[in-house]
Amino acid sequence: MDKKKIYSNWFLVPAMTIFIVMFLVPMVISLFFSLTVWNFRDYTFVGLDNFKMFLTEASLNIGIKNTLIYAILTCLLKVVLAFFIANFLTSKIKTKNILRSVIFFPNLVSTIAVGITFAALMHPSKGLLNATLGVLGIGPINWLGDPGLALYSVIGTDVWKGVGVATVIYIAGIQAIDRTYYEAAAIDGASKWQQLKAITFPLCRPAMNSIIILAFVGGMRSFDLIWSMTGGGPGFATDVVASIVYKQYGAGFYGLSTAGNVIMFIMIGVLAFPLQKFLLSKEVDG
Amino acid sequence: MKSKKLLGLLMGSALVVSTFTGCGNSGGSEQGASAQASQTGDKVQPADTETSQAEKVTLTMLIDTDITLKGFQEVAKLAEEKLGISVEIETRPGGADGDTLVKTRLASGDMADICLYNSGALLSALNPAEYFLDLSSQDWIDRLDETYRKTVSIDGATYGVPYSSSQAGAILYSKPLYEELGLKVPNTWDEFIANCDVIKAAGKTAIVGTFADSWTAQVLYLGDHYNVLAGDPTFPEKFEAGEAKYATNSAALRSWEKLVQTSPYYNSDYLATTYDDGCDIMANAEAGHWVMLTQALSNIYELYGDKVNDIGVFGIPGDTDTGLTAWMPSSFYVNKNSDKVEDVLRFLEFYTTEEALDAYTSAVLPDGPYCIKNYQIPENGYDAVKEDMQAYFDAGKTSVALEFQTAVKGPNCPAICQEAVLGQKSALDYANAYDADCLKQAVQLGLNWK
Repeated sequence: MDKKKIYSNWFLVPAMTIFIVMFLVPMVISLFFSLTVWNFRDYTFVGLDNFKMFLTEASLNIGIKNTLIYAILTCLLKVVLAFFIANFLTSKIKTKNILRSVIFFPNLVSTIAVGITFAALMHPSKGLLNATLGVLGIGPINWLGDPGLALYSVIGTDVWKGVGVATVIYIAGIQAIDRTYYEAAAIDGASKWQQLKAITFPLCRPAMNSIIILAFVGGMRSFDLIWSMTGGGPGFATDVVASIVYKQYGAGFYGLSTAGNVIMFIMIGVLAFPLQKFLLSKEVDG
Repeated sequence: MKSKKLLGLLMGSALVVSTFTGCGNSGGSEQGASAQASQTGDKVQPADTETSQAEKVTLTMLIDTDITLKGFQEVAKLAEEKLGISVEIETRPGGADGDTLVKTRLASGDMADICLYNSGALLSALNPAEYFLDLSSQDWIDRLDETYRKTVSIDGATYGVPYSSSQAGAILYSKPLYEELGLKVPNTWDEFIANCDVIKAAGKTAIVGTFADSWTAQVLYLGDHYNVLAGDPTFPEKFEAGEAKYATNSAALRSWEKLVQTSPYYNSDYLATTYDDGCDIMANAEAGHWVMLTQALSNIYELYGDKVNDIGVFGIPGDTDTGLTAWMPSSFYVNKNSDKVEDVLRFLEFYTTEEALDAYTSAVLPDGPYCIKNYQIPENGYDAVKEDMQAYFDAGKTSVALEFQTAVKGPNCPAICQEAVLGQKSALDYANAYDADCLKQAVQLGLNWK
């Protein structure tokens, strides 16, 4: 036996068995069943019909569009907002620790609870949001009932909930930056804004990249918040791929919903991997 | 080296084995054990009915939360006294979430002993031959009304026992508001819209929308079926054969046009208002109309007592005349794999007796005629049922809804109807969307469409 090898290959067996049985086999099986009309007992092979249906029918492909809007907007907003919040929270303010807890707090609440709470807050006639706006003479705004607005209301809630995690990652990144850069810049007469632009921004790039990837993938497969706030409604206005897959499954179209899952898998794969590659190529050494 | 190999192998197999035994445990052994127990129990006391009746049996039943429970509870109480059977209720949401839950529990072999679910097209979507017991060989099954029995029978097998009375998909209207504004019960669709205009002009809600529970959005479309049949009596057969479509059949397209037409008359928060809110609103005469199943009468009666008689009913008006679209009740289905099938059958046999029906009607009055042969509606029924609905039955102006005439019902019907009520596209677009949805169901059922 090869003396250089300290551990036997047999140590791979437990992990590989689980990986193959729990991940690879179901993946191959689901690829197969996405090509069929299936009722758990028997199936009819229909080729790519399920995929064609998913991509051409309005009530199904609206999910692909909405998923992209949702993922890109939540990701963008979290990255930008969290950057400024993190900078504020790493500056010399007294209530720093309390504020950091406060900004992270929404993330500790169950998503379903957040969804139900915000759906109540956004109730068009009895909700707190419209009641407050009413005092200021604005509204009433139909947050979740207007098909053009509903998706953005949910996106806003998602950002409120998720911005805490992004902020914490940023804070870690910013605190890792050597303070001497700032001192040198200050001596050269750089303003706070210039310091932010020329030092903090490029040097917390690794943190930002993790946030972009996390937020983007999280946005692509989001389901629970949307389902608890709108159920995909009104009509199909806030349906994303995950909620459509769930509904098709509920309707008993097992083949079609498996095809939807395969589409979601491909979408995440095709978008997330190049994105990560691109982001890594932009990183600079601190 | 060898010992390392062995260790790795051992660890691997230990992990795999423990994983799988973990999966299998909950499903198999428990049931097996209790089945064995009941078998040995029978052997010890053969034919001793007194003791076996004294033995308490608990059945589980999965039921949705929008249905009225009071009548059932009365029957269950009686069953506990007479048969020693008590029923433990597990609740599930109604609508699409409920469908998902039922299908998941069926597929994973985790269904309760009794499953309460819709009759008609939605039942056929569950693949009942796989999961439910065929009741057609039971000697008491002939008690069921024929029209009802057809809606729970597939390929000659009968699966269901009616939970409550039949009902109708109709328009509930507020009598006090009608009196106040001097309105008359409309006989045509145009008169109905004119009434809505009057109520709206008076600053009141003309139609209350309760679409936070999305299933309620489809009642207008489904309840218009009497008028579709009046326009084209052969529509259901042609529809199931894939020859007639909602978008191309003018009588059927009219249903979608009506749905779009109601768009301006709803309360401003109709997408956030729930079915329960709707019951409150109608009982307190805060809105003129509610397009709803008449089961809401029982919910209102439970909450508000005699105020239910402030509410009248008329069928969804047609262009020249008005008829009523009747609904078959939800049904009990027996879980084929339950270890208490005999007890479930005893319970269902009891549920269809006159004694049980009397107990049921002592708590909840019927929302329409019963689906048990020769059972008379009690004298003290709701006015809306006794007077308004009965008139349609007497005049023969009723039909059952489409979902009880064909096996095809598009599962996205609630969402499409919800969209149609927003009225942003034309009725034809929604009809097309629904046709596409039905096509998926037809393909799943193995019908040869297109």
